[in-house]
Amino acid sequence: MFCRDHAVQLHRARAELDRAGEVVLIGQLTPRHAAHFRRRAELTWPVLADEDRASYTAAGAKVATANELFGPKVVAKGVQASRRSQVIQTRTIGHAAQLGGVLVVRPDGSVAWSHMSEDASDNASPQEIVSALHGGAETATAG
Amino acid sequence: MAIFGTAVRKQRTNPPHDASGLADIVLPDHEGVEHRLGEFWRDRPAALIWLRHYG
Repeated sequence: MFCRDHAVQLHRARAELDRAGEVVLIGQLTPRHAAHFRRRAELTWPVLADEDRASYTAAGAKVATANELFGPKVVAKGVQASRRSQVIQTRTIGHAAQLGGVLVVRPDGSVAWSHMSEDASDNASPQEIVSALHGGAETATAG
Repeated sequence: MAIFGTAVRKQRTNPPHDASGLADIVLPDHEGVEHRLGEFWRDRPAALIWLRHYG
């Protein structure tokens, strides 16, 4: 649910994001899964498929505990997300406890900003990402 | 690891300060075309967004 909600939020901010920089999404499993997700979420950006999750490890993403996946805070935010984006949780495809996050990288390869998810409900907002792309954000890491 | 592959102990995120460890990772896109991650920030700042899963 959070994954599709996040995609919906990003899609709604696509004009601002595209003006600010490049955007690429990375998911698990295969190009076929990536294509299905991209089509269903009506995304226009590339969606990459990382079957062995090597890039998740390199980005410093973590695997959630049960509480970070199903705890009361996460469930409550899930209900809000479902109402906001009119999406429902569908079958989980990929490692269910793998969390994601965002890195904003400058052309010199330095990381300008990061927000790696602390639990399943923790996603960077499109506005935060736009701000980071514009270079207006200080380097900050969730958690 | 426990149910659904969850971690038994709370983990910490560990984002890098530079993307050198990511730049040479090559991944296929939704059409099967391979991309080196470093190509995305070659000319402009890039937001790399890792999804939890495709659900």
